[in-house]
Amino acid sequence: MTLFSREEALALAREIVAESPAAETEVTVESTVDRFVRYAHVGPTQSADRERVDVAIRVRVVRPGGVGEARAEASTLERATLEHTLAHALELAEAGVAPDELVPLGGPVEVAESRAAPATLAHGFEAKADAVRRAVARAGEHGLEPAGLYETCATARALVNSRGREVFGETSRASFSLVASSATSSGFADTIASDVTALDVDGAIERAVDDALRSRDPRPIEPGTYEVVLAPHAASALLLFFAYEGFSARSFEERTSFLTDRVGELLVSERFTLFDDARDPRNPGWLFDGEGTPRERLLLFDRGRAQPPVSDRAHARSTGGRSTGHAVAQPSSQGPLPQNLVVQAGDATLDELIGRIERGLYVTQLHYVNTIEPHELVLTGVIRHAAWLVEKGKLVAPVAGLRFTDGLVRALADLRGVGAKVERAGALFDGEVATPALHLGSLHFTSSTRGA
Amino acid sequence: MERLAKAAIERGLALGASYVDARVERIASETLVVRNDRLNEVSAREEFGLAVRALVGGAFGFAAAPLSLDDAGAALALADRAVALARVLAPARTRPVELSEESAAVGEYRTPVAIDPFALRDAEKLEPLRAACAELGKRPEVSVREASFACRSRVQWFASSEGAAFHQELVRTGGGIAATAAASGEVATRSWPASFGGDHQPGGFERVLEFDLLGHAPRVRDEAVELCAAPPCEAGRRDLILASNLLMLVIHETVGHATELDRALGCEADLAGHSFATVDKRGSLLYGSPWVELVADSLAQGGLDTRGIDDEGVRSQRWPLVHAGRFVDFQSSREWASALEARKSHGGARAQSWYHPPIVRITNVSLEPGAWDLDALIADTADGIVCDGVKMWSIDEARRNFQFTAELGWEVRGGKRARLVRTPTFTGDTLDFWRACDAVCDASHFRMWGVTNCGKGNPIQEAEMSHGASPARFRGVRFLAG
Repeated sequence: MTLFSREEALALAREIVAESPAAETEVTVESTVDRFVRYAHVGPTQSADRERVDVAIRVRVVRPGGVGEARAEASTLERATLEHTLAHALELAEAGVAPDELVPLGGPVEVAESRAAPATLAHGFEAKADAVRRAVARAGEHGLEPAGLYETCATARALVNSRGREVFGETSRASFSLVASSATSSGFADTIASDVTALDVDGAIERAVDDALRSRDPRPIEPGTYEVVLAPHAASALLLFFAYEGFSARSFEERTSFLTDRVGELLVSERFTLFDDARDPRNPGWLFDGEGTPRERLLLFDRGRAQPPVSDRAHARSTGGRSTGHAVAQPSSQGPLPQNLVVQAGDATLDELIGRIERGLYVTQLHYVNTIEPHELVLTGVIRHAAWLVEKGKLVAPVAGLRFTDGLVRALADLRGVGAKVERAGALFDGEVATPALHLGSLHFTSSTRGA
Repeated sequence: MERLAKAAIERGLALGASYVDARVERIASETLVVRNDRLNEVSAREEFGLAVRALVGGAFGFAAAPLSLDDAGAALALADRAVALARVLAPARTRPVELSEESAAVGEYRTPVAIDPFALRDAEKLEPLRAACAELGKRPEVSVREASFACRSRVQWFASSEGAAFHQELVRTGGGIAATAAASGEVATRSWPASFGGDHQPGGFERVLEFDLLGHAPRVRDEAVELCAAPPCEAGRRDLILASNLLMLVIHETVGHATELDRALGCEADLAGHSFATVDKRGSLLYGSPWVELVADSLAQGGLDTRGIDDEGVRSQRWPLVHAGRFVDFQSSREWASALEARKSHGGARAQSWYHPPIVRITNVSLEPGAWDLDALIADTADGIVCDGVKMWSIDEARRNFQFTAELGWEVRGGKRARLVRTPTFTGDTLDFWRACDAVCDASHFRMWGVTNCGKGNPIQEAEMSHGASPARFRGVRFLAG
């Protein structure tokens, strides 16, 4: 299957909008093609050659008692089902009529049309199986157990509303990952790009195997406060919480965000600049949001100084009365979110960052990070995969996992260095950040994962 | 539906597959959220799709797409694609897939539903949410108040080339309330009956009525405000009495995931991790104290994973995971069961929807009740903390080192509830923790709690299950400063 064309998707969305008797209607049509092979020491363990379509209909009805708004979705193109979906949306909206004021849907906008990479869309299973064979064989040469994923995915999305807004775009994502494990260690590496031809599969295999081998037989280490260099995957696991918890106009307005009463303050180190930009090729995304509003490039930390949150149309008052284009599909109980975070690169190599540490840790990944307290972004999580003790600027020994519990804002206030090489990195939960390695003056580790 | 599934199976066999199964699924869901007295989300979703899985040359191929009832050609095309994919992947297998021998399941299962949540007028579903939300707002310190409702129906037609033909209709309904107060420079959230969207139970709207959201709203509101002024939990080792609404998540993370067989065999290592509970430890590892009985049960009353069969046609069953404190068994699927001498699946292969291939998932896993009354247990505790409600959780990739934060803690001094404390955070090691369990309350305190967002797999999938527990005591648990 191929993605819907621009014309197909917009035509279907226009047709439903035209048929809707609601005061305002917004229709989003999406098609996705996804192919993946997951693998372990036995070779491929799961796979899928799959596609889906999703049609979301958002309606608003105006009645003497007020306004009602609802969304209904269907995973089909069947006309009869879509008629039922529209009727269901109208019925739900009627039930929700209340004397609320709703911000009108947005009018026409100009949005550049992003395109899926043709090579990603066309990428088949032979190449994936070949890469899996190479990963399994390479790990096996060193007595390591492999586990990983090779996935290519592309999506087309059109949004049309009754105020004349029409936008269309495509995205694509290709990724390959390997966890190589020995009895006492593991190494992780991945490669992510919009265009599958930009992946460095063999480089990722070598990095994961190398980390697993070099981190074998780790020494136990006492919990405590350590100076750390966080590799991009470790940094991303923390920085994603600025998206999940902090920079939403909803949590800002409800005063549960760390930004509350702090916009404009120098909250973290001047070395730290963070922005959200769907056009940045290092972490690209949709050029319009869940309401069809163009996504703005927004500074979130400007040389350490906290900037206003991201918004959608309902929360635009937090951003000077305009939406910044960060809505999820509406109506939703979830607030706006930054989804394309990028950390501004510094000028240090990884070796230089590590070389500045007198005694501390180099951490390649943090796992299962979660929030204890949102106002200071107090987080906890564990070191996963390779980590090393650093003494006098050198990696002296692999160390066993530790759990940290610390405030992200506090830790970034003592940011001592930023790497020059930006990588796109994810974490256990949703989202990715384009970030270089970060050198923190301290991170508080509260227990050892090798026996508490 | 059955016709489409069988057409796909016959096609797969004709193309040379040694085994084929097909799932036709219709999934419907509805969500209502009232936030700060405003109807914040009203949404509904319907999906209808077909998944075909084919085993060729020792490898599985899987294909899935949305379905039209009159499009038998699409079903055949999916069989073609599943077989083609398996053929490509087979040479990359280092060991062929071996499926456990199972009898072909034929029959049907339906979740008992008293009040169909999809047939009920939306105004009737909104009324208790609006009333509870208004009650939560009766103190000015409450800055965010939310009441939510959600229901989901999953209708499956499963068939396999071994003769399985099963129809099941699974329905769950739930919701809850939460109040976030901002006072004294602190922010605190309290919820009922559970945090993060409430609790979800198999059945219909009768489940939401049983929650009595309005009746609990004044306590939830007041506790949120009181927590802002409460002292932070002090660091140190104390006895921990866990309410069942938090103990259920501890069971999920430290027992449910730890006993997934694919994880123990290293096949989940690329995402969620592995497990300390490896195959060689089965039957010998002391997992907990003698009072710890942990049972997996996909037949359990009140379980979100209570059903007729799993997503590869294995019938539901009940079996012990930890017996008298000793680790005795895993949760498994047909493929991974071949690693154990019994070579029988426990029926744990499930997929999020028609769009996803089945993987080993946690079923309903519960801590069997003990003999204690809760008041007697508190009276028997000299220095402890009662922890209630989930605020935060985190666990390492081997399922050993964990950290949980409760919504609320009550200090216990000299056998009596003393003061409220905020942000009680406890950390520990799975085995040390369960071995320190010295008391479990009796069946009168037992309750099942639903989990609707368990993440596993790569790409990640969500699954639903329940965990039952009575409150239990754990000696000498380490608390961090709140």
